[in-house]
Amino acid sequence: MTEKDHHHHDHACLEMFKMLSDYIDNDLDELTCKDIERHAAECVACKACLETLKQTINLCKGSTTRSVPDDVSRRLKATIQGLLENQPRL
Amino acid sequence: MPANKKKRKSPKDKDVELIRSINAGDLDLYYDLVKRYEQKLYNFGLRMCGDSQDAEDLVQDTFLNVFKYLQGFRYETKFKNWLYRVATSACIKKRRKSKFAPDRELSLEEFLPQNEAEIPKELPSWAMMPLDKLLNRELQEIIQQAILDLPEKYRLIMVLRDMEGFTTAETAEMLNITPANVKIRLHRGRLYLRDKLKDYFNND
Ligand SMILES: [Zn+2]
Repeated sequence: MTEKDHHHHDHACLEMFKMLSDYIDNDLDELTCKDIERHAAECVACKACLETLKQTINLCKGSTTRSVPDDVSRRLKATIQGLLENQPRL
Repeated sequence: MPANKKKRKSPKDKDVELIRSINAGDLDLYYDLVKRYEQKLYNFGLRMCGDSQDAEDLVQDTFLNVFKYLQGFRYETKFKNWLYRVATSACIKKRRKSKFAPDRELSLEEFLPQNEAEIPKELPSWAMMPLDKLLNRELQEIIQQAILDLPEKYRLIMVLRDMEGFTTAETAEMLNITPANVKIRLHRGRLYLRDKLKDYFNND
């Protein structure tokens, strides 16, 4: 496949694609950020890429935690108590 | 000592205080430390192993190991990071014994659009929706499963960075890899998950 075969292999798009996470995580210098923002404003494919990746991360960060089931908690307590009972005391 | 020399206590300081007391001989306080992190670790176990029995084993093994090594705890490290380091190695050991989730490398190329039709012409609506509208139980399960399907070296990074909220530097230290390596794996892990979400929303 040559570079011209499709849009996403455009050099700028490919470069952007590689840096999306660094951009989202604020790990890039100001100049590079500006380049990315300029490109995303004109290239809907890259803009979509960026926004879906952002949303993917939001979904991960937003995923809820479960409370520990009572029986799991009880067994852990028993394990720790057993452990502590077998320790030499000062 | 002047009273104002006491600094405001961060959560880290609270752990350190507790650990000092335990290490000074007040062993029963160890259960307080366990309770502080029980739920966090259990959820970490669920995310890494996907199975509640494995998650329970992970919690138990980790707290047994932590107790064993607590005397050697270096107070300049954050206890939470050290705890996750112990949990992570318990996790890796456990996974090595099981046969599921084969380890493979993810390449950047596999996440590029493979043909013209895959190139988005507009912003997908799910990308712009508020989280509380989007994140229902079904989607949570899709995400959980996609994370479990990731090869371990990517899954660990995804869970530590994007779910447990550790920084790149902390994750690198925990896993003994370079920050650059963390970033590479994280990017590929995220792209993998994004593809799964794209599939899910396209078929919806
Ligand atoms: Zn582009």
